[in-house]
Parts: sequence; C-alpha cells; structure tokens
Amino acid sequence: MKKIKLLIVDDEENIRILFKEELEDEGYEVETASNGFTALEKFRKGTFDLIVLDIKMPGMDGIQVLNEIKNINKDQPVILCSAYGEFKQDFSSWVSDEYVVKSADTGELKQTIKNILSL
Amino acid sequence: MNPIELFGKIIEISHSNLEISSRIKSILNIISQDLHYEEVMAYTLDQDKRLTCRYLNDRSTLFPILNKYRCRVGEGIAGGVAQKRAPQHFTSRDIPPRFGCLFYPELDGQIERFKSFAFLPLSDDSYLYGVLVAISTREAIQDSEKILLSMLSREIGGILRTYSLIIESKKRISELATLSELGRVLASDVEPEELLKNIALIVAKALSAQFVTIKLEYPFLRIGSQRFTNGTIEPLMMQYVNEMEIESIKNKRSMSLKDHISEAEEGHLRFSLHTSPMMSKNRIIGAITMGASKAQYFIAEEDGRSLINTISNYMSNGLENTLLNRRLRDVVRELNDAQKRLIEQEKLKSLGEMTANIAHEIKNPLVIIGGFAKRLAKKTHLDQTENRYIDIILKEVTRLESILNEVLNYVKEGPTLTGACDINSCIDEIISLFAPDSTWKDIKIEKMFDNKLDPVICDSQQIKQVFINILMNAFEAMDGRGTIEVKTEQSVVNGKMFMSAAISDTGGGIDPSIMENIFNPFFTTKEKGTGLGLAISNKIVTNNNGRLEIKNMVGKGATFIVYLPLENKTGEGFV
Ligand SMILES: Nc1ncnc2c1ncn2[C@@H]1O[C@H](COP(=O)(O)OP(=O)(O)OP(=O)(O)O)[C@@H](O)[C@H]1O
Ligand SMILES: [Mg+2]
Repeated sequence: MKKIKLLIVDDEENIRILFKEELEDEGYEVETASNGFTALEKFRKGTFDLIVLDIKMPGMDGIQVLNEIKNINKDQPVILCSAYGEFKQDFSSWVSDEYVVKSADTGELKQTIKNILSL
Repeated sequence: MNPIELFGKIIEISHSNLEISSRIKSILNIISQDLHYEEVMAYTLDQDKRLTCRYLNDRSTLFPILNKYRCRVGEGIAGGVAQKRAPQHFTSRDIPPRFGCLFYPELDGQIERFKSFAFLPLSDDSYLYGVLVAISTREAIQDSEKILLSMLSREIGGILRTYSLIIESKKRISELATLSELGRVLASDVEPEELLKNIALIVAKALSAQFVTIKLEYPFLRIGSQRFTNGTIEPLMMQYVNEMEIESIKNKRSMSLKDHISEAEEGHLRFSLHTSPMMSKNRIIGAITMGASKAQYFIAEEDGRSLINTISNYMSNGLENTLLNRRLRDVVRELNDAQKRLIEQEKLKSLGEMTANIAHEIKNPLVIIGGFAKRLAKKTHLDQTENRYIDIILKEVTRLESILNEVLNYVKEGPTLTGACDINSCIDEIISLFAPDSTWKDIKIEKMFDNKLDPVICDSQQIKQVFINILMNAFEAMDGRGTIEVKTEQSVVNGKMFMSAAISDTGGGIDPSIMENIFNPFFTTKEKGTGLGLAISNKIVTNNNGRLEIKNMVGKGATFIVYLPLENKTGEGFV
C-alpha cells in the first residue's frame, strides 16, 4: 500500500524535526519545507495528501501560502498550525480545512490529520 | 423736684435695661407725679402710618377711651402735631370742652374737669415716632414747664428711636443669617436634590412657615423630581399653590393670597400663601411658595414678603450657578472617566501586542522542549528516577503552556459569540461546578436571584469566565472558609437599564494600597497567581458594554459587581 504523504511547513527547524519524527512514527511519509517559497515549489512538483502550514513565518506567511495552494488546487487538504489560538474563530469560515494550536502534546495534530484523511 | 434731678432720673431710666414699655411708662409716671399732670400718654406710629395711643401713666383714666381710636397724621390735634412736628399747648378756655375729631363722644363728662392740655411730637431731626399728650387739672402752665416737657418728649423720642433701630437691625441680622446660611448651602458639595431640600428647610425656618415648596422649571438639569417641599401641604392648598406658581411664572411677579378661607366638605380651611418667581439672569427657573394655615405675620406683613422676595432673588442666581456647576462637574467627570478608560485601553492594547509577540516566541521552544521530552520517554528505556525527571519537565511545560494560553486569551480582542444569556442560570452552572468539590465544603453560598431578570446580550462563554475568576478570588481570599453571597438584580445606571450581579465574600477585603492595581495584568499577591484573573474579567465585561465595580469593606470582605446592559433597554452601555 502506498504511504500517505505529508508536507510540514515551519520556519523552526526543531519543530520540523519534532513533527516529522512524530508523524513518521504514525506511519506517514513526511517531507518538510522551511519557508513558503520552498513549500510552494514542493507542492507544485509533487502531490501531498495533506499539508501542515505554520502561520507565522518570515517572508511569505502561512496565510499567503494557503491562498496560493488553494488557487492552484482548491481541493488540496491543508491544516493551519500556529503557536496560539488567535486565528481560531476567524478561520472557521476560511479556506483551510482545519486549524490546530501547536502544543508539546502532538495528539491533537495527529487526530486532526486522521479526521481529515478520514482514516 | 428740681429740673436737674428730674433729668438725672429720666436719663437713668432711658439708659436702663428695662423693657421699652416699662421705660416709657416710668417716664410718663415721673412726668405725671413731678410735673403734676393727671393724664400722660404717648401715641406711637404704626406700620400703616396711623397713630395709636399705646403708653400711659398709672393713674390715667382717659386711656381706655383714647386707645380705641386711631388717627392719621394730620388728623385732629395729635395728628396735627405729628404733621407739623411742633408742640401745641392750650387750655379749656382756648378751646371748648368738646374737641371735635380728636376727642370722642365717650369723653363727654370726663374731659371737662381738665384745664390745660399739651401735645408734643416725639421725634428727632429726621423721624417722627409719635406724640406725647399731657393733660392737667391745673389752669396755668408756666413757660419753663413747657420747655421741660419739650425736653422730656425728646428723651422719649430717643428711646423710641433706639428701639426701632434695634428692631430694624434684628430683622436685618436674621435676614443676613438666612442669606448666609443659604450661601453656605449653595456652596456645599451635595447633590442637587439635597440642596433644594435644604433651601426649602432654611426658608421655612426663617419665615416660620408651615411649608415651603420649590418648583423647578428647568429640564436641562436632569433632576429626577421637579418639586422640593419642606413641611406638608394639604391637598386643598396644593391646588392654589399650583395656580399661583403658574401665574407667577407667567407674569414674572410675586403673588399673595392673604388669609384666604376655602370651603370644603371637611370643613373650611383658612390659610395664606405667597409665591415668588425664581429668576436668574432674567430667565425663569421656577417658583418658590410658602404657606401657613393661618394669617401669619410673614405673609400678612410687608416685611415678610420683601424678605421672601429677597431670598428668592438671591437664591435663584446662586441656585442656577450651583446647579449648572454641578451638572458641568458631572459631565467633566464622565468625560474624564471615559478618557481614562480610553488611555487604559490603549495601554492594554500595546501591552497586548508586545505580550502576544513574546508569547509566540516562547511558545515554539516550549513545544519543542515538551515534544522531545515526550519522544525521549517513548524511545528510551528509562529507570524510575529518569522517568520522574521527564514527568517534571512535561508538567512544567504544560503549566507554562497554560499560562501562555491565558495570556494570549487576555490579549485577544472583542466579544465574539454574543447571544441572549440568562445570567442566573449562567451563575448557577458555575456554582454547581465548584460547590461539590471537597475544598469548597466550608464555603456557604447564598443566592439571591432576581427571578424576573431579563436576558442579557453577551458572550456567555466569556461571562462565565468572569464569574469563575471572581468566585475563585473570593474562595482564595477566604482561605476556603466563609460565605459567598451572589445577588442579581436589574437597576438603572445613568438612565439606562442594567443587570447587576454582585458577588460578596467574607475574606477581609482588599488592602486599599493595592486597590488601583488589581485590574492590572500580572498584578497578584498570591504565590501561584498569574494576576490575570481580574484583568481578563474587566476586559471581558467592558467588551460586552458593561462595567466591573468593586465595593471594598476593609476587614470584612469585597463585593465585585458585574453590570451588563439589558436587551433592548439600552444603547451603547456605559459612557
Ligand atoms: N475577593 C477578593 N478579596 C481580596 N483580594 C482580592 C479579591 N479578589 C482579588 N483580590 C486581589 O487582587 C489581586 C488580583 O486578582 P486577580 O484575580 O487579577 O489575580 P490573582 O487571583 O492573584 O491570580 P489568578 O486569578 O490569575 O489566579 C489578587 O492577587 C488579590 O490580592
Ligand atoms: Mg484570580
């Protein structure tokens, strides 16, 4: 069976490592990108079952990346992810599929991924 | 007695402390005895400018007759002397025993035995006070005696003059006392309602009136009632008061109703009223009316009326100024408050932005630390001690995360999910959350809910948070032992309808020196407090157009009152 492929986008290297390892433990294939441009590049080249986007990044922020992605493929599943809950309400009607607040406990992120992919 | 001795005696009397009538009577008796006049009497001038025979010597027999009649200046012999201010001496040979208009029919048979008559003005250079009458059975009166009488009449005039000056200044003093009392009240720092009641009281006291009522025609002042009364007004009188107020305000003139008798089913009512318009800078601001159930002096007499008018004038100007000042002061205070709140909000906003940035910067490393600690625990086989260390790391990370969440919650803007909220059940829900906990077993919760409370439009999630914070603070202030009273009701604040929920504890209150800090974020006196509870609560309540207030009773406890505007009953909430 083909592995489910995820793209993690975050400017913090250690967050990328943490999420990558945690999600690989769950059996996903995980690629990472450290900024919006790289992320869009990878998105155009490959196909991902799900993209996890950090909001606050230097250069191009997560919201801009999200818009680009949805312009190209509005069915691409995306999870927005941020250090705190300031966007929680605003994004319920937004184009992202879900919104997760980062936490040392990655349980919520994992569960959200499962829900979106209807596993 | 020789004239010098006589004068000595008279001067002694006139400077004594005796009452005026005793002094004059003594002098009249001396004239009667030492100068041999059987009848010595003094007429004095009344308010209405008529002469009345008022003082007499002890053995006078004519007095009861003369006392019955009063005469105008210029009328009859006494009147003539008063007018010309020149003495008149005559004998029964000069004028027949019937003396025309001065001497009256009753005098027939009495007057004939007297032979000489002297009428002397009691006056000084400027004023006339009365007329002295001396009547004797002797035929011949010497000139020296006439001169002596003139001098004595001057002395009596002097006494009367001093007396009238004293009366005048007493009146003046009481008038000034009243005015100064009014001035003090006008300058005092009381609410307009209180002020007007005080004025009514002072005026009533000064005039010994049965009642004094002030009617304001001044809607600008936003005073609840427009009538302020001291004393009681019978309903029947009230009709007259109303009519007189209307008339007097319309014509800008004072009006009197003197000794009026009104027939009613319950019998008749006899009273006097006087109404004065209250004018300030030519503008009517109302009317003041005083009344008495009988014809009392203050209304019957001109002096009383003029006093009322003076007071009313003086008061109206002062009153308008005071009331306007007070209104202005209120407005300024409201503005100041609003400005303070704005500054506070600005401060909080920039503080909020900074906090958000810092929190964000901390949050990521925290996620990393916690995340890897977890991985560490999962991947490696650790002994018990090492596992405990990991646990501690994770616990601390969780604690930091939750503090950060609270901080970020605090900086979050605006109410989000507003809807109609039943505050009573909202509070009930929270209480039922806490109360079963064993740490709350020594807390007595007394609910005093207004069951007819209208729903409040607010974000109920947020408002619950407020009640949780306040209840937790109460719990902590009481060290888990005491009484919490929760009281909800509807009230009017600044003319708008509000729901108020007051939560009181018995935790000894808040130290006054920290009062102004407790709403500041991060201000806490507790070892494990974040100092965000009240800061967040205050912000939430303000965002929901309400207000959070504190009644602090040092040594007893604190009451936190949440005010929230009621649906459809208010506009924008607090200014
Ligand atoms: N009911 C009360 N009685 C006495 N003092 C109080 C009361 N409520 C608040 N305070 C004082 O106000 C301070 C600030 O309260 P606030 O709720 O903002 O923070 P905290 O309770 O200290 O911390 P946190 O609520 O975050 O746990 C408290 O530390 C306490 O000194
Ligand atoms: Mg608290």
